[in-house]
Amino acid sequence: MSFNIPIGPQHPALKEPISLRMTIEGEVITDADIRLGYNHRGIEKLAEERNWIQNIYLMERICGICSHSHATCYVQAVERLMEIAPPKRGMYIRYLVSELERIHSHLLWLGVAGHEAGFDSFFMYVWRDREIVMDLLEMVSGNRVHYAINTVGGVRRDLDETQKARILDGIATLRKRSEYYLHIGANEPSFVARIAGVGLLPKEQAVALCAVGPTARASGWDRDVRKEDPYAVYDELEWQVATADTCDVLGRVVVRIKELLESYNMIEQMIKKLPAGDIAVRAPRKAKPGETVSRYEAPRGENIHYIKANGTEKPERLKVRAPTLGNYAATVFMLKKGFVADIPLIFAAIDPCICCAERVVTLVDGRSGASSLVSLSDLRRRALDRPANALVKGKAEWPF
Amino acid sequence: MTDAELIAKLQADLGGRIEIDNPGPRRLFLKIAAPDLVPVVTRLRDAFGVVFLSTISGLDLGATFEIIYHFSTPTQDLNVRTEVPREAPRVASITPLIPGAILYEREIQDMFGIVVEGIPDGRPLLLPDDWPAGQFPLRKDWHYDRPVEVIPGGES
Amino acid sequence: MLDKLARWSRIKSPWILHLNSGACNACDIEIVDALTPRFDVERFGIILRATPRHADVIIATGPVTRQMKDRIIRIYEQTPNPKFVIAVGACAMAGCVYRGAYNVMGGLDQVIPVDMYVPGCPARPDAIIDGVVKLLGKL
Repeated sequence: MSFNIPIGPQHPALKEPISLRMTIEGEVITDADIRLGYNHRGIEKLAEERNWIQNIYLMERICGICSHSHATCYVQAVERLMEIAPPKRGMYIRYLVSELERIHSHLLWLGVAGHEAGFDSFFMYVWRDREIVMDLLEMVSGNRVHYAINTVGGVRRDLDETQKARILDGIATLRKRSEYYLHIGANEPSFVARIAGVGLLPKEQAVALCAVGPTARASGWDRDVRKEDPYAVYDELEWQVATADTCDVLGRVVVRIKELLESYNMIEQMIKKLPAGDIAVRAPRKAKPGETVSRYEAPRGENIHYIKANGTEKPERLKVRAPTLGNYAATVFMLKKGFVADIPLIFAAIDPCICCAERVVTLVDGRSGASSLVSLSDLRRRALDRPANALVKGKAEWPF
Repeated sequence: MTDAELIAKLQADLGGRIEIDNPGPRRLFLKIAAPDLVPVVTRLRDAFGVVFLSTISGLDLGATFEIIYHFSTPTQDLNVRTEVPREAPRVASITPLIPGAILYEREIQDMFGIVVEGIPDGRPLLLPDDWPAGQFPLRKDWHYDRPVEVIPGGES
Repeated sequence: MLDKLARWSRIKSPWILHLNSGACNACDIEIVDALTPRFDVERFGIILRATPRHADVIIATGPVTRQMKDRIIRIYEQTPNPKFVIAVGACAMAGCVYRGAYNVMGGLDQVIPVDMYVPGCPARPDAIIDGVVKLLGKL
């Protein structure tokens, strides 16, 4: 018997208001729908009233987890419009904070994924280690979240020798801990079996639906903005794009852990190669008329900003497309072939940053059309009960 | 291939239908007429391997609306722009070619009132359920007066 | 007698509901951070609950978006009395950077009565714990 389940804007599993309506028959989801709009704050309209510097602070607050990515993408575009280039040291510090943000975001996600799969002690361990990164970010920029280290023309704060030494120490500790988590993941058969085969997104569908970030890279499609559109620093470092080809949640976990390890390497290289010099150049108040597109690889995928300037100190049009919006079409596709118990896991696997987009979950009964509400915690309880009765993929291998 | 080579190939292939602008490295802006949208995007997809759409931006230019489709390949970004008149803002949907465009087309419908013809699912995307119809926030002539705040225990 | 017992248990172990009304997420991850081993509010008996019907304290973040307004009122009504509302972050206090936007009400106190404001953008977990403790001290 099929029925509808709406999961309301307030629920414990996802930290943001979202709405999905799903049509289900028994345990299988036959149709899924997303309702955005709970988090729509009208930022593009607000940005037209603020000048170039004020907009940096507005852009940061699009999202708390990937705040530096929005600010940096915006500042890259504005610098291109004003035809100024920040000095090398400023660039290095800016992208050092980017990689630290990537680490904090992936560790956050790893904890949440463990929590959704029922592995709560993993969640607590990972978030304890995430505090190391938060301390480093606070030391570099002054705040744990919303770093505000960017300005048009460079960065606002400099790094000195003690800070560099502490960053290297922190990264060394994190690297040891991450390898421990890798070991747990590889050797914990129930964890691997729970997430293997869930949320399948074959490569053709990932391409057709324009998926971005680790969701697309886990399907074997190796698009990474840092390799394609190298902005300043990334073509001077040695690193590789992380991909996996299992096309499921296990692949996404693997891709994110690989990216964590790559980020540690990149940070160490950046600290060693940090050039001397100024950290910022003076920027003019007004930008010349023109337009530009700026892309950036946020932890969740490709972030794109399009800015059009008309010669004044305010933008004419500022368009932001955050990465999670690009993954929604792929999410609907993944949900349509899944089980109700897998909903929290599939959602968590795309690393939703709903404030970049938002929703509520509603499950709609296919036959009768009635709708009912199920909280995400109930769904998670069902998710945790399910593996005991489901076919366990005992042979699932950790493809590392 | 480099920017210059790609521009040459595009001129050879699509010729009179497009005007190309290359303001910076790896950025190409192609201007086409609105009826040419679907044929040009089909040609780009089949012959040039352009399959990834990042987003669709709308722009209010006064007498017309400009719609920009931001595509990208591993080597360049191609931004295809077209204009529609303000009185009759209609443009064809490209979801048969690129299924991932659906959400972005719903967004420009919401924000500008541009009607996308042939869209498989035209419901509003971002605006709340009780939003009055016909109000398109990102148009330049749309203004909003904030209601007066009530400060609890104090004066407004 | 039973009254005193009820009041003591409420003060000693408040159950929290976390409500996000359109926020950028920074305050929300700081709230979840308060549960993790460094700040660890669970040792005070504070636990995050899933449903409004079990909660004593609603911790809310975010400028209230128009779509969320009715849902917030409904959740507030579903929470049993006595209940307290804590508004965390500059957005919940007055809208932060989003003041004047067309989709934002501008502050939680325009929608439901608030008992405690915790400033910051985002508010640190220490500040959130401080806010909860001060609120309980007033009971």
